[in-house]
Amino acid sequence: MIWEELDSARIITDLEAESTKDVFEALGSRMIQEGYAKESYIQALIDREKDYPTGLDMGGFGIAIPHTDVSHVNESGVAIGVLKKPVEFIQMGMDDDPVDVSLVFMLTVKDPSAHIDKLQRITEIIQDQKVLDRLTGTKEAEAIINVIREKEEDLDQELTA
Amino acid sequence: MKKKVIVACGGAVATSTIAANKVVELCKENGIDVEICQVRLSEIGSNLPADLIVTTSKCKRDYGVPLLTGMPFISGVGVDKTKANILKVLSR
Repeated sequence: MIWEELDSARIITDLEAESTKDVFEALGSRMIQEGYAKESYIQALIDREKDYPTGLDMGGFGIAIPHTDVSHVNESGVAIGVLKKPVEFIQMGMDDDPVDVSLVFMLTVKDPSAHIDKLQRITEIIQDQKVLDRLTGTKEAEAIINVIREKEEDLDQELTA
Repeated sequence: MKKKVIVACGGAVATSTIAANKVVELCKENGIDVEICQVRLSEIGSNLPADLIVTTSKCKRDYGVPLLTGMPFISGVGVDKTKANILKVLSR
């Protein structure tokens, strides 16, 4: 479960950022403080984003899932940032197409094959527009965890149904 | 005959892992025997030959192998079409 691993120490609402770098520094430093990532993590995110951007256009809703090589990571985790005003990211897999991002799911991935369920769960969460609306509509870290918990409970019910 | 699919992204960390898993599921459902090779974009060349390349990063190089974007597996937009295209290539 993603929500069980979320912690308000790694969630920033009303995040003021002018650039992707600001976003990486704000969320990345939380990851480092909390022991999930090494000191090199923020620079690695900045470098990687240039070559392999992580913006996603989820049907008109911009989100980003910055992540980088396992060598900069200590432990697998997620940090969430709700941006006060959107920041332009380049879309993943696209030819320099920008997307205005309001919600950021930053990942530290330690062992991709071991975390496949978690990675897949994150994509299921962000594919739900209603969830994205609810996540950006709150200023409380606890509310963000609750929205994701509810979504995951729905997903689990679908699986057992 | 076993098919080989190369799944590539920037760092072989997150998105290619998701795409690779989806390709495996799809092939299993359709009775296609598949070998997945999950690599970084820069490592595609050294892992050829293959029957198909799926990437979640932009890739302009022509490897002489069908190349499809795996982005719909991440965004959820156009998944069915992507699945159909993958099956078309692999059923040849």
